[in-house]
Amino acid sequence: MEELLAEVVGVLVTVVEACGAVVILVGAVWAFARFVWVGVRGHGSRAFVPVRLTLGRFLALGLEFQLAGDVLRTAVAPSFRELGQLAAVAAIRTALNYFLSKEIAEERRQVAEEAREATPDPAAPESPGRTV
Amino acid sequence: MTGLGALPGVLALGVSGLALVAGALALVATRRPALALGVLLDLLLAAGLLRLATEPTWTSIATAAAVVALRRLIGAGLRAGGRVLADPSPPARR
Repeated sequence: MEELLAEVVGVLVTVVEACGAVVILVGAVWAFARFVWVGVRGHGSRAFVPVRLTLGRFLALGLEFQLAGDVLRTAVAPSFRELGQLAAVAAIRTALNYFLSKEIAEERRQVAEEAREATPDPAAPESPGRTV
Repeated sequence: MTGLGALPGVLALGVSGLALVAGALALVATRRPALALGVLLDLLLAAGLLRLATEPTWTSIATAAAVVALRRLIGAGLRAGGRVLADPSPPARR
């Protein structure tokens, strides 16, 4: 019974990790194509930021899949040593995911700031503001 | 550790090549080394994560972690430098 469970979990881990790898690969290839497009068309340095943002999202999603694989693996990790190794791998992947999400949030904030600077607030000069 | 074999490793090598090409292209197109470095490190991180999917050895994990740490360090340094260069106000008066 345990062997069957180990086999099933092994297949599931392979499938989930393959999904993560596919997500990361698709993101990297898509981002490369967009980088080439933006670079060749000469849209300027600002055009690179949204592409990097999307690539970051792809990488974060791929990491989530890899973490899911790690969680599945804990179901059948037979020895304490393997479990420790798995914990270290999962911890590092979690840290990567955390830093990646922070970077995405920061770049998103920069994009929003640039957009706000580019389009002046129409209400600001018109309405002097109500006094409360 | 997984049944994916050596395929992710080969793909990671390909993505590393794409990273070099995209970084060089970004440098030529924008003439901004900071941006080109960001592009290069983004795609190198993707390559590192693909390598993690195959056989997560300590070396591959450390490489991926080092890319993230390096990227944050360089990004923070460049942002701090950019703020200093962009700020027209004089330093604190005594």
